[in-house]
Amino acid sequence: MHTQDDHAILRARDFWAALFLMTVSAFFLWQTSYIPLFGDNRAGVSGADWYNSAALVPLGIFGAMFILSVVLLVIAIRAGGAQTALQAAGIGWDAREALRFSTISIIIGLYIFGLVPRVDFVLCSGLLITALIYGFHRGLPQRMIVATAAVAIPALYALIVHLPRAEWNDPHDDDWITLAAWVVLSLIALRGPRDSVSRSIPAIAVMAPLILVCAMAFGFRQNVPNRGGLIFSQIEYHYYVTLRPLWRN
Amino acid sequence: MDFVLTQLAGFGAAFADLAGDPITYVYLIISVFLGITFGALPGLTATLAVTILTGFFGNKIPLEYSMIALLGAYVGAIYGGSYPTILLNIPGTAASAATAMDGHPLAKAGRGGEALGLTTTASFIGTLIGTFALLIFVWLLLLVSKNIASPEKALLALFGILLSGTLMSEDLVIKGWIAGLIGLAMAMVGLDPLLSEPRYTFGWSYLLSGFQVVPVLMGAFAVPQIIDGLRHMQIGKMVQLQGRILPNGKAIRRHMPTIARSGIIGTGVGALPGVGEDVAGWVSYGVGKSVSPDGKNFGKGSIDGLLSSETANNACIGGALIPLLVLGIPGSPPAAALMGAFKINNIIPGPTIDPEIILRVVAIMVMASFTMFIMGLFTARIFIKILRIPQTVFLPVVMVLTTIGSFSVGGGINDLYLMFGVGIVAYFMNMMRYPIAPLVIGVILGGLFDETFRRSLLIADGDLGVFISRPGAAILLALNIALIASQIPQVRSAYRRLIRKGA
Repeated sequence: MHTQDDHAILRARDFWAALFLMTVSAFFLWQTSYIPLFGDNRAGVSGADWYNSAALVPLGIFGAMFILSVVLLVIAIRAGGAQTALQAAGIGWDAREALRFSTISIIIGLYIFGLVPRVDFVLCSGLLITALIYGFHRGLPQRMIVATAAVAIPALYALIVHLPRAEWNDPHDDDWITLAAWVVLSLIALRGPRDSVSRSIPAIAVMAPLILVCAMAFGFRQNVPNRGGLIFSQIEYHYYVTLRPLWRN
Repeated sequence: MDFVLTQLAGFGAAFADLAGDPITYVYLIISVFLGITFGALPGLTATLAVTILTGFFGNKIPLEYSMIALLGAYVGAIYGGSYPTILLNIPGTAASAATAMDGHPLAKAGRGGEALGLTTTASFIGTLIGTFALLIFVWLLLLVSKNIASPEKALLALFGILLSGTLMSEDLVIKGWIAGLIGLAMAMVGLDPLLSEPRYTFGWSYLLSGFQVVPVLMGAFAVPQIIDGLRHMQIGKMVQLQGRILPNGKAIRRHMPTIARSGIIGTGVGALPGVGEDVAGWVSYGVGKSVSPDGKNFGKGSIDGLLSSETANNACIGGALIPLLVLGIPGSPPAAALMGAFKINNIIPGPTIDPEIILRVVAIMVMASFTMFIMGLFTARIFIKILRIPQTVFLPVVMVLTTIGSFSVGGGINDLYLMFGVGIVAYFMNMMRYPIAPLVIGVILGGLFDETFRRSLLIADGDLGVFISRPGAAILLALNIALIASQIPQVRSAYRRLIRKGA
């Protein structure tokens, strides 16, 4: 892309960003107005003076942000950003880049919001690794969509069927669906060109989360997501019941 | 002189204590190896190395050992960036971008082994220069900082954010300041530090304790890197390494003035709040180009050029630790991650820091630089093999590392939601050329700024004169105003006119 084009796109992005920042600053300035500034009474207790108010610094921050976003808007308009922004979408993304970004963020978002809290960590991380390597190593749009679907099906199932926190550990139906999605995606990945990357996907996808979760849980003795998950609950049981007595005795 | 000798004696005791503990070596070898690996893999940065290890080691092992792990990774990662820079012409980290100018031409000329040997030695000497400066200046500054009260602290925090925003901006300076303000705004979430008034919690109890540092760091540095790096890329053709990777004593002696100058520049740049190793490398390279007798060959495979950037970026580490330990203001983005590790261990860097910690940090830095030097010379070929791993293979593993590291720091699943949210925002900020370092520094220093600014006014009964009446505060206020004014076009042109008239 030509540098001048880059500059025009950057200013168009600045135009949109400045409008967004102005809206956000105005919203938070309005929110700040709920924090007592001039010694209001709260539950019968007199609040602080203006110079000690909890609203003082936030007012300064959001006020400064509003002013700076106005300055940014002026710079963007003077550099022709508004014109570029209003002519096209002004983000400077082509369809391929938009697909790449949206599929990655959907996969990572569904992993964090849907899978990690509800599904066994080894299973969901194995699926994530497989999906990301398979979907993005070759940069093929079709693969990106297949990888997103493979993560979306178990994640949306877990999210919809087991939304409340009380259902995050049991039952394990979402674990089984994740395992099925992982196996299917691994088979699809193995059907493609047999290069070293595609051959190594299953090994990386199994070993990396397994080692990490065991190191964190038994090495550092820290909390790990979804301790009651299908695989981790078995590992934990056998660690304490089968393995640990061997060296403790 | 007595002062320096006392310092050296204190350092000797800390060093002996560290060297006598066998566990030290386990953490050192693992962390320096991981650091070099992170630095060597294009797409992973030194900040990411320290951030991810903060998630793993931050509060899970005793602080003495977690400091070894984090500083070892920091030193290793800054050095490790030179491998892909020299052999592939792709900077492994932003810190080694200037190294590419001369490193790759040297490798193409069949002097890759020599170049790597020299960068290893220069990085080692650079780290030692920065560490020596840390040992000496940190104490001088600590003596001065005893007189720092709330007004100075507030203005210093603001200066750190503004300076970082000004110097780290690739595009418009205003973007750096906006990033700093976003960070400050994020730090306002939760109960306020003086009156415990809830701010911007929107009824979510998790937000009452504010944004946690580690998920913010992970989100700001790891998630955008992962999203951006997951694309099909043809790995560039690696230059065949010729010659043995050995320190060339004669060449080092000949280039000692360059190494010493770059070490001093690197340390000085590092000591500026929020300005990282990449700026140190470029500044030293620029100075070297204008003062070195070999300046005309810079960019064509000059050893002087190579040493200028590589010494400076490693010397910057010691420099960056000076404001962190003395004032609680991180000197670079990886130092911000280190600050996160201190915070989750309930250690507040600043004038009240335990002097033993500073001596231990210095001793760790010396040991880490020796470990890096030995690994650089004897295991370089392993790191060169690691360079061949595609980003699309290791970045998904980094995502899992980031997730489990962020989860286990304490906040559980909510920390992951925060990490994702910050990550998406940081990705768009990267795309629009907003620097991320001021945002992180804003998050870290926001609480301090809020508390000390309001405390100053409280003590002075709302009199704003408190920021002028104290000499230290007045100087800092003048610096803040000058920094802002220097970016206003009208002020700049008026200043230029004044200079012209004076001439």
